[in-house]
Amino acid sequence: MLAVAGLAGLSAVAWSPPAMAYIGPGAGFAFAGSLLLIVAAVGLAVLIILAWPFTVAWRLIRVGNPFKHATAKRVVIVGLDGMDPGIATRLMQEGRLPNLQGLAGRGVFRPLDTSNPSMSPVAWSTFSTGVDPSLHGIYDFLTRDPCTYAPVLSSTDIGEAKKVLNIGKYLIPLEKPRIKLLRKGTPFWKLLGDRHIHSTIQRVPITFPPEPFRGLLLSGMCVPDLRGSQGTFSFFSTAQQDGQAAFTGGEQTVLRRNKEGTIRSRIVGPDNGMVKGSPRMTLPFSLHVASDRRTARLEVEGSPPVTLELERYSEWVTLSFDAGLGIQVKGIARFYLVSLEPEVSLYMTPIHIDPENPAMPISHPAVYSVYLAKLLGPFATLGLAEDTWALNERVIDEKAFFEQAMLICEERERMLFEALDHTSKGLVTTVFDTTDRVQHMFYRYLDPTHPANRDKEATAYADAIFRVYQHMDAMLGKLLAKVGDDPDTVVIVMSDHGFTNFRRGVNLNAWLRDEGYLVLKDGAHTSGDWFGQVDWSRTRAFSLGLTGMFINRKGREKSGIVEEGDEYVGLIAEIMRKLEALVDPATGQRCVRKVRSAIASADGPYRFDAPDLLVGYEGGYRNSWECATGAVTEEVFSDNTKSWSGDHCVDPEVVPGVFFSNRAIAVDAPHIADIPVSVLRLFGQKPLHQMKGRMLFATPGQPAEVRGPVEPERILQSGAAPGARVHLPGKDVAHG
Amino acid sequence: MDLFNALTSAVFDVLLAPFGYRLAWFDLVLWPVLAGIGALLVYKKVSNQAGIAAAKQRIMVHILAVVIYRDDILGVLRSTARALGWNVRYLAHNVVPLLVMIVPMTVLMVQLVAHFAYRPLEKGDVRLLEVALDPESGVSPKAVQLQVPQGVAVDAGPVRTPDGQVVWRLKMQDEGDFTLRLTAGDEAQNKALAVGGGPRKVPVLRSKTWEALLYPGEAALPRKSAFESIRVAADERDVSPLPGGEGGIVLWFFGTSLVAGFLLRNRFGVTL
Repeated sequence: MLAVAGLAGLSAVAWSPPAMAYIGPGAGFAFAGSLLLIVAAVGLAVLIILAWPFTVAWRLIRVGNPFKHATAKRVVIVGLDGMDPGIATRLMQEGRLPNLQGLAGRGVFRPLDTSNPSMSPVAWSTFSTGVDPSLHGIYDFLTRDPCTYAPVLSSTDIGEAKKVLNIGKYLIPLEKPRIKLLRKGTPFWKLLGDRHIHSTIQRVPITFPPEPFRGLLLSGMCVPDLRGSQGTFSFFSTAQQDGQAAFTGGEQTVLRRNKEGTIRSRIVGPDNGMVKGSPRMTLPFSLHVASDRRTARLEVEGSPPVTLELERYSEWVTLSFDAGLGIQVKGIARFYLVSLEPEVSLYMTPIHIDPENPAMPISHPAVYSVYLAKLLGPFATLGLAEDTWALNERVIDEKAFFEQAMLICEERERMLFEALDHTSKGLVTTVFDTTDRVQHMFYRYLDPTHPANRDKEATAYADAIFRVYQHMDAMLGKLLAKVGDDPDTVVIVMSDHGFTNFRRGVNLNAWLRDEGYLVLKDGAHTSGDWFGQVDWSRTRAFSLGLTGMFINRKGREKSGIVEEGDEYVGLIAEIMRKLEALVDPATGQRCVRKVRSAIASADGPYRFDAPDLLVGYEGGYRNSWECATGAVTEEVFSDNTKSWSGDHCVDPEVVPGVFFSNRAIAVDAPHIADIPVSVLRLFGQKPLHQMKGRMLFATPGQPAEVRGPVEPERILQSGAAPGARVHLPGKDVAHG
Repeated sequence: MDLFNALTSAVFDVLLAPFGYRLAWFDLVLWPVLAGIGALLVYKKVSNQAGIAAAKQRIMVHILAVVIYRDDILGVLRSTARALGWNVRYLAHNVVPLLVMIVPMTVLMVQLVAHFAYRPLEKGDVRLLEVALDPESGVSPKAVQLQVPQGVAVDAGPVRTPDGQVVWRLKMQDEGDFTLRLTAGDEAQNKALAVGGGPRKVPVLRSKTWEALLYPGEAALPRKSAFESIRVAADERDVSPLPGGEGGIVLWFFGTSLVAGFLLRNRFGVTL
């Protein structure tokens, strides 16, 4: 019917006598465009409707009724990255999380055992694939290149196109650049898709680039910004010290006013790979400060002018960088006017890939991000979207960071509810990062004696973490109201890990040096980042990243010296023993809870590329900032004075995640690897043999005896971990 | 009508004069492009740009939803219906700019047609002179008489039909701009005829209906005239490689102004 109407419309215009066309271009713009849209919409619909019987027949032949053995028609998983069972329990006891409390009462709440190491890329990869790191290959954000000892991103390999056409100053790529997901294993939503069960997966970490499957996916953590980094902010300020920028980190630009008071500068964009030498693309802008010193008018070339208000985020501004030959590379950023007097300071978020015109694949299918952007407006696409770096460098303050995080959270909520609107059967999974980022940056407020509180305001955001928990609880309330009492819908709220304090940094490289396992070049006692002064021919062990220690193994590392066999086994045993006895002289406490051998504790093929030792710290400790980047400092221990004051890169037993569900379960101590298996089973599908997780939910004939909230006494770890402090109104309680 | 035609003709005779009739292709490219730009500026001014952008956005959303949720057949139908619904809103947003632009655009197209669509007749050509009488005038076709000037001969006719049509076949014997004289009772009307010579504005039709607006080459017939229209069909002028004739120029104008407007929309910051 619609097709007939469309064709009739087309005919009417195509065969109208010339006089009728005298309506002119004014109408032509509208009618031609409109007609095209009608033809497109109707044509697509007709195609799909015509194909539908064949699709259904194909599905029936291939998989039959995919829901035949299902015990749930719809599963909704809300991932609250980093939600801590200790803090959640506290807030539930205080009645501040009524919806989570209600969910636990109707179904269950238990701590969720997490992966080792207990960090997001690892844990979410286990969630996606149902296997441990030795099978999915992700042990950290970073790993080392064994040929150079240089750090490489462990999740994604991004390279330039090899085939290019060389014309004058241009290098025109003849193929797509190489973007490869390094996470191994099969995500469980692909298995569901193969059985024609639809999934919408939003922002699950380590899904960039998106892998094709029968469903929708928006990539999460590890999506780069437009510059290819994991998030490089820009800071423009008239403040300077000796002609240099007054701050560090990101892209710092010293601004100068002209005689009229107007400031002109350039936004630094991505490298232009189409031009020889790959020069940076830039975008001129001007800033006109209003006479009331409360607002400023920002004019970025190619974008409509924006009025910026002091200490308020702008809407997303589209930045179009001209790569030449008519090609535009588009990104989006928000601006935040930090100050207008005495100095003018303007912060710009990292340039996110524009979801409406993505320069790299960030969704599957590619039009999914376009669809979401057109429906909901522009949204943050960067993997680590909340700009923790800017707050760590004190370029922005807590208020600016918190507002940014909440803006991103609201975008995510809209996505989740959009997915729910379209999913009556199948899986919806949305991961919220706000809980994680806010705990990282505001944990010091829970611990009045935290070293990071020195020289910083320490009370204004004392409730920031709680506010985020309550915000997520309110969102869950809306979700539960939408789902209603549908017995065929299973709702799971989970986190990949919990949280603990990060008071003291440990430089394992300095410790290895002191113990004689890491040797610096003659005359050097310390080294800068990336092992600059390390003498590899005499070094037996080194640490890179947040929990990993590598043995300099012969045949694996370029200059490896440790022989396989007894020497290797003896060395790791020796280091494990010494590390577990390591005491922080400032506190007299052991700082390492457990050291595990990656090879001995797993049997997957990628354990041989893994860090040889995974260091499980006690709460309150973590690899120091310098150690994570391969530096060797004077001292082994140091206070953590950064705003990044909470962490979870400790022993996994210290930081379990949370597991809430509206259905009771049959297993008392759920593990994150159980979730993919359980979802597959709920839909009546068989997990892959390498998925070792258990079915959490009761199967027909089996009782679901684990129900209700966990007894608070069982929450011994997480926010109450040794070294951590939990702030209670009126009294500070230090644990451990 | 006469005043309107006279005014617009006066303006366009001047505007089109610099390049004359010989460089037809130049005017036929220049004016549609300028019309496209003008239309853009007017469109930007008088249309609800935010509303148009929002409507387009929603249409696109629902079309993408058809693609993305193609396994959900009810969803596909719902999204298609919504896309069409928003399409109606989009069209509604275009009514005001359409009303504003329809007159100037029509005038421009009519003038281009009048100047470039036809060529003068050639010596030796035989053409029909078609006269239509207003049925309400009560004048009989038998009362219609024709006087031809030197250089034009009546080859055959008149043929009078009961529905008020009178037709003569004329033969062009000489080159020049001639005037035919037609009488019906007390009323006398002229009809211009262009034969030979270079390209110029060719008179085709005199009418007393709205059609006169489309043929500004001659004055309209008076409203009380017994004649409804007087026509001598002209040949299409060859303006290759561009399409010629009335229909060709109209379509060319329509297409070129659209393309120009579409290509320049971003430069002028207009949402179409």
